[in-house]
Parts: sequence; structure tokens; C-alpha cells
Amino acid sequence: MATTETLILDEMIVSSRRRLMTMGGTALAGLILGSTKASAQTTLTDADYLNFALNLEYLEAQFYTLADSGQTIDQVGIGIGAGTSTTGGGSVTVKPTGVASCKVPFTIPAVASYAKEIADEERKHVSFLRGALGMSAVAQPNIDLYNSFNAAASAAGIGPAFDPFASDVNFLLGSYIFEDVGVTAYHGAAGALTVSANLAAAAGILAVEAYHAGLIRTVLWGLDQATPAAGIAATATKISNLRALLDGTNNDDIGLGTEQVALNGSTATFTASTIVNADSNTIAFSRTAQQVLNIVYASTSGAKGGFFPSGLNGSVS
Amino acid sequence: MRNVDDLIHKALTRRKFLAGAGTAAALTAVGCNNHFQPQTTPNPPVNPTLTDADYLNFALNLEYLEASYYLIAATGTGLSAADMGSGAGAVTGGTQVPFTSKVQQEYAYEIAQDELNHVRFLRSALGSAAVPCPAIDLTNSFNAAAMAAGIGASFNPFGSFDAFLVGAFVFEDVGVTAYHGAAPVLTNKTYLGVAAGIMAVEAYHAAEVRTLILQAGSTYVGYANQISALRATLGGGNETALSATTVVAADTTNAIAFSRTPSQVLNIVYASPNGNVMSGGFFPSGLNGNIKSTNP
Repeated sequence: MATTETLILDEMIVSSRRRLMTMGGTALAGLILGSTKASAQTTLTDADYLNFALNLEYLEAQFYTLADSGQTIDQVGIGIGAGTSTTGGGSVTVKPTGVASCKVPFTIPAVASYAKEIADEERKHVSFLRGALGMSAVAQPNIDLYNSFNAAASAAGIGPAFDPFASDVNFLLGSYIFEDVGVTAYHGAAGALTVSANLAAAAGILAVEAYHAGLIRTVLWGLDQATPAAGIAATATKISNLRALLDGTNNDDIGLGTEQVALNGSTATFTASTIVNADSNTIAFSRTAQQVLNIVYASTSGAKGGFFPSGLNGSVS
Repeated sequence: MRNVDDLIHKALTRRKFLAGAGTAAALTAVGCNNHFQPQTTPNPPVNPTLTDADYLNFALNLEYLEASYYLIAATGTGLSAADMGSGAGAVTGGTQVPFTSKVQQEYAYEIAQDELNHVRFLRSALGSAAVPCPAIDLTNSFNAAAMAAGIGASFNPFGSFDAFLVGAFVFEDVGVTAYHGAAPVLTNKTYLGVAAGIMAVEAYHAAEVRTLILQAGSTYVGYANQISALRATLGGGNETALSATTVVAADTTNAIAFSRTPSQVLNIVYASPNGNVMSGGFFPSGLNGNIKSTNP
């Protein structure tokens, strides 16, 4: 305990509260937040964290696979049941026109390619985690990709409704909602994993989520700069602001735009883009499981809803 | 030559640095692993145990390289003396890139500031244990890499924005694999969190650079893939060729990012596939710190 306290004190001396959020350990973050809920999660096992991640991967894989092909992941052969069962998972709610209508009418070939790649990679994450968990794998929970986006758009101040499957840009904005969250979730869980192989796998998936986030943000920023009147970056920034609001910090999510930086000078006179979503030390943010739940449930109190109307399956819910 | 007082001071600051880890083993390792320890130590370990500080200093060397590259490309001026530490080596080569749009410049400013922040953060975390910036070569290194990759007799990554992207490509995916390889061996959870967070940022950069190279067109995608093939030859595979459907560099079986050992990373930055190499390529005098030589 003295060691933990020393660590925390050292960190508090040399760093801001924001930096503390990047430490990764749920226990540490729990202490800082003063959240008994988060502290109680110190007893979670590696399998609990991997199942937590699996829930998020089911969500991402469904979103991208629907966007790419108009099919759900179980329709393309990915298991969604508990353990090794391929069937028996929860439902996926999509717009009233049906699953097939979720295939995005891409007009930018590169964006269609990116969707195909990310869909493939998120399905592989599902398969990998299910394989690693074996009989312990949780089934896919009920997923909502319709009411969730509409509610998020309304909460973010984007508009009363939002269809992420309607166009290239909408697809990219829908992706924007997920990828940075995936980064912070894996970052938060990494420090809590006890088995080295699990940690290495989680770090490797974390890196891939960051690649996805960097890809999505770069493409959105390029489109925004090409057509400034469309307000694409401003919309993305509203999503970032909503995430920061939901997780209770109001300051751990950088939107898409520019900021002034100092480089080697003493005053910030250089205008830089904000492709990377990270803290003032340029270390990616980290979120506790509870903070991630608040975002995917679209609830500051962590009440089930949003993308998971019946909650996550497993011990972290 | 360092005197005894310096050595004691260094040891004490390292002990202080490692106090957070708080393990007797780590402190013992520091004692066995001191650069300046006489070789008469009884039963010296063949592969001395590396500490978290050693891995963070390894990362710091790579950040010096990246920060130097991006700062010079963005502004024409590299790291300040204060950010390089006492006893720093010379950084040679490079000029400001002739950017042709505000957006291009903003990308370069962002990554330059990011890498500078990483240098400053790691130097701060390491305190007196931080190694100074080693000698860095940004001219001959790229020319030799271009020759080895089959791009041509020379390559100037500072000649245009698109060339700058290819130069950036050389580093970013490697940074991801280096931090990925180091993360599981760190003993202190705080530093693990930091390493994972910096790895994520390197992955953001890598994706940004790979996406922009795709937009630059087939000539530059071709260069990038020649570099990727060279890295695979030098650093034990672990590469994904760039295309519109392979922006992410990861294992195709499970979409998990690649990982490299420090030795494999050294093979790449030293531009040599051989064992027992201690310098070359971007680091003509080698890295500073205890991780310096490729595996035998």
C-alpha cells in the first residue's frame, strides 16, 4: 500500500489531474475519482476485462460489418453465442428499413475500402477474444444502432436524428463515436490485466483501435478542410464533448480542429491540427470501465441504455 | 570521465526513480546493471536484468529521433539544448519542408509538438537518470535506407510534403511495435500505463501518415512499401504493406498490432540485420543507455 501511495503522491507532485487519468490502473483511477463503484472493480479477473472488451468489439464489428455489407456479423459466420456457441446472442436493432439498408451508399471509394478493412479487423477482434475466452466468452448483448445514434445526436446538439449509414461522412462520424472510446477503454484495462499474454494482446488491440481512430480522424479532417461549410469537424467535436460530459471529466476528449502550439518557443504561435486525441503530455487518455459504460450507455449515471439497451453481458455492466 | 561522486549521484537518483516500483529485485538489478560497474563483479549476469528505467531510456532515444525529425521538418530547427540533456550528441541533416498548404503545415506542427512532448515527458519521468540525446544522422541514414530499399541512391525526406510523409513512415509503425514490445516487460503499472498511452499516440500518427501517403498517390505508396519491406528484412518481419484496405499494420490472423523486441527495433534504426551491432543508420554513435546492442 505504501508503494501505491508513493506512486500516487509522486504523480500528483509532478503532474496534473489529467495526467493521473492516463495511469491505466482501475484502482488508481478509482481512488482519484473517489468512486466506490470503480474501486470495487479491483477484484475483477482478466476474463472479466476481456469479456468487457468483447462486448465493445461486438458493437464495433456489427456497426462496421453492417456499413460495409448490409449484414450482421452472425450472418457472415462470426459466433455471437455464449462460450463456443455460434448462435444465441442478443439482437441488433437497426433502422426501420432493415439490415440490408445499412450498407452505406459510399461515393468515395477510399472510404468504402476503409470500412471494409475496419469491419474485417473488428470481426477478427471478436473472434480472437472469443477464442481466448473459450467457454467463458459472453454472448453478444442486445445492441441498438438506431435509437442510440438518434439520442446521441440529440444529446450532442447535432440534431434530432442521425443515420450513420446514410453517407460517407455520416459513416465516418459514426465511426468517430467508437474508435477513440476503444482506445481509452483498452488503455484503462491494460494496467489491470495480470497475465502477461493478455496484456500483450490488449496492448496490440489498443494499438489497432488507435490506428482506426487516427485513420477516421485524418479522413474526416481532410473532408472538413476540403468543404469547410459542411461543418464536419465541428460535428465531430460535439461528439468528443458529449463523451467527456458522459464520463464525468468534461476534459478528456479532444475534438477535431486546430490548436496553438509553442514547439521550441515559449509562446503558442503555431497552428497545429488535432488528429491525435491525447492529454497535454500527448499520452492517450485512459478511461475506467465505469466511464466507458457511461459513454456506451449514454448516461452520466451509468444506467443501461444507449448502444446496449439491456446492458453489457459479463461482470462489468 | 565521470568521477565517483557522479556515479553515486546517478545511482541515488535512479534508486529514487525506481522507488515507485518498490521491489528489492529492481534495486538489486540497478546495482548489477550499472554501466560503470567494474567487470570484476562476481558472476556477472550474461544478460543483465533490464529495469523500467532502461526501457524508458530506450524509448527516449527513439523519441529524440522522432522529435528531431519532425521539428526540423516543421521549423528548420531541431530540439533545444535544454531538451537534449547534458552531453548530447550532434544532430546532422534536415531542413524545413517546403509546405504548399496550411493543412500540410498543421499536420507537421502537430506531430512535432507531440514528439517533443514525449521527449519532455520521458526526461521528466526519468529525472537525473534520463540519458542525453545521442548523435543522430538525418542525411546519410535516409540515403542508405533508400539504397537498401531499392528506392534509389538518395532520398531527401525534407524535399517535399509527400517525401516528408515517407520519412515519417520510416518511424511511426516502428514506434508502435517498440512500445508494444516493451509494455509487457515493465514492472511498474504507472509506467505501463504511460507506455501504452504513448504507443496509442504513435499508432494515431502511423495511421495518419499511412492515410496521407495513400492520398499522395501510387509513387509514394510504392516508396512506403519498399521501406516496409526493408524494415521486415531488418526487424524480423512484422510488417503490413500499405494499401486502401490495409491502412492498419497488424497481424492478419487476429488484427492485433505487431510487437518487436528492443533488438529488432535496433536492427531497424541501425539499418543492420546483424547481431552485436551497437551503432549505425540513424544513430551513428549508437543509442545512449543500457539497451544499445542488437542480440548476438
